[in-house]
Amino acid sequence: MENKAATKSATPSHGDEHAHGHGPGRYFVIWFILLGFTALTVWTGHMDLGAANLPIAITIATIKATLVVLFFMHLSEAHGSNRLVFVVSIIFVVVMMLGVFGDLLTRNPMSLPSGAPSFDVSPESHMAPHE
Amino acid sequence: MSSSEAHAIDPHEEHAHNPHLAHHFDTIEKQDHAIRLGMWLFLGTEVLLFAGLFLGYTVYRHFYHHTWHEASRTLDLGLGALNTVVLITSSFTVAMAYYFIKKGKAGPCAAMLVVTIMFALVFLVVKSIEYRHKFQEGALPGQFYHFREVPGPGANLFYTVYFLATGLHAFHVIVGMSILIWVLVRVLKGHFSPSYYIPVELGGLYWHLVDLVWIFLFPLLYLI
Repeated sequence: MENKAATKSATPSHGDEHAHGHGPGRYFVIWFILLGFTALTVWTGHMDLGAANLPIAITIATIKATLVVLFFMHLSEAHGSNRLVFVVSIIFVVVMMLGVFGDLLTRNPMSLPSGAPSFDVSPESHMAPHE
Repeated sequence: MSSSEAHAIDPHEEHAHNPHLAHHFDTIEKQDHAIRLGMWLFLGTEVLLFAGLFLGYTVYRHFYHHTWHEASRTLDLGLGALNTVVLITSSFTVAMAYYFIKKGKAGPCAAMLVVTIMFALVFLVVKSIEYRHKFQEGALPGQFYHFREVPGPGANLFYTVYFLATGLHAFHVIVGMSILIWVLVRVLKGHFSPSYYIPVELGGLYWHLVDLVWIFLFPLLYLI
């Protein structure tokens, strides 16, 4: 009875044994890896690596998120259409981010909000190229 | 794709018996497929909802880089890391609940759901401790900001984004917890079996999304 029930609800695109061969073992492994990456990101966050801090943190978060999506949320064995939906939403996030980065990185310093101290260029030097 | 499914499974047998099959679906497989697709579409919109906040974060972090660095150091890293561990572990326990109900083990499934709900409560309690601390310090959004430790323009924007992002996330924790309580009640009533466990699966998916958002919020707010 259990076999038949499993057949009904399995993801049919994969072999049934395959989709159901993993059990708590895989979840345990993923959980441990996630905890490990959490410790790693706290550790690297403590170090002062300057500009490298952000890419490292984002990379670790992306790896963790990918593990959750693929194995806890079972996207690794989901229907193609479900994968497509999720991947497309990620693509649109990336498009949105890239568009805004393009704006941020090419701004005339005069169009920045007042007192944005990240651009510690002296006032004379930002005027010059645009005059 | 759907034709190969139809070949793989004989639809006639459960068709007559399955009380969960809505009349407008031919087979339970098609119904399950539609339900899962709908859930993933919803999760896609959730990703885009949070992406807007992450984008706001990116823009103002770019403008007020140094101030934001200072401001993020005022958050309690210990409590943030604790909450990360809590959510990741709750993601694991809800995955186990899904595993057990698929095997027809309602008891262990209910136990795992109870543990998950407890973790959700722990998360909210820890978050509220952090919030209360920020309220007392005056590290509040916008015009209510009067936190002396991090002065300067842009500092109040950090706390605006902090409260908006973690607030929206905490709201999702509350919603996810409510869904899991509803699922738990149905598990205890014996509504689910290895042939029908879609609500456990979808409740779990929503909960994983809550974890997913926090995986990005934690380093961006506490570590950078």
